[in-house]
Amino acid sequence: MAITSIKTGSSFKNLIKYNDFLAGNAAFQPTAYESIATVTVGAGGSSTITFSSIPSTYQHLQIRGIIKSSRTGSARNDLIIKLNGSSTTYAHHQLYGDGASAAALGTASTTQGLLGINCVPSSGYTSQFGVVVADILDYANTNKNKTIRSLAGTDNNGAGFTSLSSALWYATPVAVTSIDLTVDGAYNFEQYTKFGLFGIKGA
Amino acid sequence: MATTYTLISSVTVGSGGAANMQFTSIPATYTDLLLQISARSDEAGANWSEGRITFNGSSTSYTTRYLLGTGSGTASGAGTTAAVYGGRGTAADATANTFGSSFVYIPNYTSSNFKSVSTDEVTENNATAALAFLNAGLWSNTAAITSITIVANPGNLVQYSTAYLYGIS
Repeated sequence: MAITSIKTGSSFKNLIKYNDFLAGNAAFQPTAYESIATVTVGAGGSSTITFSSIPSTYQHLQIRGIIKSSRTGSARNDLIIKLNGSSTTYAHHQLYGDGASAAALGTASTTQGLLGINCVPSSGYTSQFGVVVADILDYANTNKNKTIRSLAGTDNNGAGFTSLSSALWYATPVAVTSIDLTVDGAYNFEQYTKFGLFGIKGA
Repeated sequence: MATTYTLISSVTVGSGGAANMQFTSIPATYTDLLLQISARSDEAGANWSEGRITFNGSSTSYTTRYLLGTGSGTASGAGTTAAVYGGRGTAADATANTFGSSFVYIPNYTSSNFKSVSTDEVTENNATAALAFLNAGLWSNTAAITSITIVANPGNLVQYSTAYLYGIS
């Protein structure tokens, strides 16, 4: 609702009169963090979540998700990432813990990147989802390979994992224009799995 | 989600490299500070280099506690240092054109209490060896943070290394 005038005797008292309508107001600060797209998996599940036609107008990308997979019988379930439709020239590394001990892994010259242990399996975990937050810094820079950093975890009320992971796409550096997310082992995302892709401005 | 997420400033290292990336005259108008750092150093004979962050030009009163993975093993440690660990990058032996990725969060950076810092950092490399590093740091100083300096230890930061400083309210 626009305020077009304030009359004497109104509830507004002791107001300062400015000739500039911006004066007296806090400066508007546009946020550097914007939603690009959101996907929620419907009934029947989905094998792949794809963000395509990603604009190059941000400095960094961030993926946030809650995840359940169709896998049964295992608490460990990894989220997979591929950039620009490529299935070559990836490496990935992980530091993870299961509540009792910590471990690390590293894989070179592989076909996909890992985004951590964050997919809660469908069996026995009706209302639980894993979580992930992943960052791709300088995603449009054509002088840099793409390093993806992710924090992820699941807690299944008795079992679970937490992980700090990285993935490297070391093809000739290009801007990231699409992202494919799948569950390791070719399982499906279950209903209500949800991912958001966010852009973070750098100028 | 924070109500504001505002770019304060950024640094990109040019050709020839740089000894540091620095932010000065940081305004006191936010609640927290957030750094996103993509770095590589010229340290020879290593896959990754140590990243160090100092506040207000001080090189004293920092302590740290960390958990790390090397691609094949894990370790945890603590110590008294001349800086907070943060901004770790790849080094000369890592895959070409590959940079580290670091998230550094500094809550309540203007408070009169000591300053806590959390970081999660990764380096990458097309080999088994790469570093994942989780760190909690403390600067035992009550001054508001007005400047931040990021260095590689040892070595210089190479071209295309970047640091972005955001204010969170």
